[in-house]
Amino acid sequence: MANVIEIRNLTKSYGKNRGVIDVSLDVKEGDIFGFIGPNGAGKSTTIRSMLGFLKFNTGSIKILGMDSVKDHEKILENVGYMPSEAWFYGSMKVTDVIKYAADVRGLDCTGEAEKICERLKVNRDKRIKELSLGNRKKVSIVCAMQHRPKLFIFDEPTSGLDPLVQRSFFELINEYVDAGATCLLSTHVLSEVNKYCRSAAIMREGRLTMLDTPNIDDDTFLSFYEDEEEA
Amino acid sequence: MRTIFTKEMKLNIKSLLIWSLAVGGLGLICVLMYRSMEGDVKEMADAFSNMGAFSDAFGMSTLSIATLKGFFATEVGTVHGLGSGMFAALIAIGILSKEEEGHTGEFLFSLPVSRTKVIAAKGLSVLIALIVFTVICGVLYLIGVKMLGETIPGDEFMRFMASQFLMNLEVASICFAISSLSGKNRIGLGIGTAMVLYFYDVVGRVVPDLKDYLFFGPYSYANASEIFSGAEADAKALAVGVIVIFAGIAGAFWQYNRRDLAG
Repeated sequence: MANVIEIRNLTKSYGKNRGVIDVSLDVKEGDIFGFIGPNGAGKSTTIRSMLGFLKFNTGSIKILGMDSVKDHEKILENVGYMPSEAWFYGSMKVTDVIKYAADVRGLDCTGEAEKICERLKVNRDKRIKELSLGNRKKVSIVCAMQHRPKLFIFDEPTSGLDPLVQRSFFELINEYVDAGATCLLSTHVLSEVNKYCRSAAIMREGRLTMLDTPNIDDDTFLSFYEDEEEA
Repeated sequence: MRTIFTKEMKLNIKSLLIWSLAVGGLGLICVLMYRSMEGDVKEMADAFSNMGAFSDAFGMSTLSIATLKGFFATEVGTVHGLGSGMFAALIAIGILSKEEEGHTGEFLFSLPVSRTKVIAAKGLSVLIALIVFTVICGVLYLIGVKMLGETIPGDEFMRFMASQFLMNLEVASICFAISSLSGKNRIGLGIGTAMVLYFYDVVGRVVPDLKDYLFFGPYSYANASEIFSGAEADAKALAVGVIVIFAGIAGAFWQYNRRDLAG
């Protein structure tokens, strides 16, 4: 299997503050990759560097075989990203936001968007400012999935979602991955890692460690967080 | 890029109409007031034209406010100069930073579009908004003149509106550059910038020692009294204006492309 994500010696600092240090990571095609670690460990910094939001200091990132800096736009054509906090333009209607995302991509995603909206029970007539966090997250999922990308990047996707929608969300991911997509899932929920991920890594204090297996018990999982607090 | 531009225009349309109708409407009222004030103004005109530096500052030494041309230059010149400057600042100061301030940046920049294209689309939306603003205000002023049954010199009117538009572009480009610096929406700083530039010009015309340095400010070449009294445009001021416009836009592209985007 080819590497869909290939990070080499990534270092990103914010002035004197640590971001991530010398991170190297491979994610294989068809994987659902669990990305875990305490708050502030560097998960979002890694993801934001991959997507070009942050200008990293040293290292290299290749996504789908393309350089994350030089081929930035081309990469994003094939990526569906859902941020941890789903914010959109408050005055716009849900249906307009979904169409806007497709239009910027230059695609007609009407069919796929309708399918996902139905599965997640998205009310498309409401304005964004009328939505709760959970409902905004559902819109974010639609925007990330409607163009059927080759790579999904989800940053804490299920916080705020009710259990039924969470189940539908993972069913959708499994369907897309079975059809050839790859998924990077940043989460704090152990059950999601155990149940859905095929490989995993943990970030602590800006450094990344690959886990032998994503099937870990509660105590091991919590120890990652406890170690951080003690440090 | 067209999609982002269209969305920006839609999001700004309400503000554009409110500001255009408010500033243009105020100017229209000023024009209409000329008839009712005509008699009183004649008596005041002589006194106003002999107030030394203050007469110079507000153009009343070169133009009589007893004429529609002079009245228009002093009254509408002030209303439009201040109002359009504030609108230009307001619309440009948040155009880039609002994405981070409103946390929508992660959505927008996860779409396959470069930062350069986003800046270009947003900059274009500011430019079009300023053109529409200028046209609406200009039409309202002309309606006022028409309602009075008077005429106003067409060349000078066009030069006035064009130079005000250029001044608006200069204020907007300064604020556009400021908007690229951080993810905070700095409305106060934008309005403050427009006010400082306006009062720099007013003070510069009152204080003799500052007169030689007026050309640094955008209001120097957009002064209505000078334009309507037929004075030549100050080439130095125009050159500085064009340089500032290009520097502001280039600075925004450069800075926004190289910095981290806040979450």
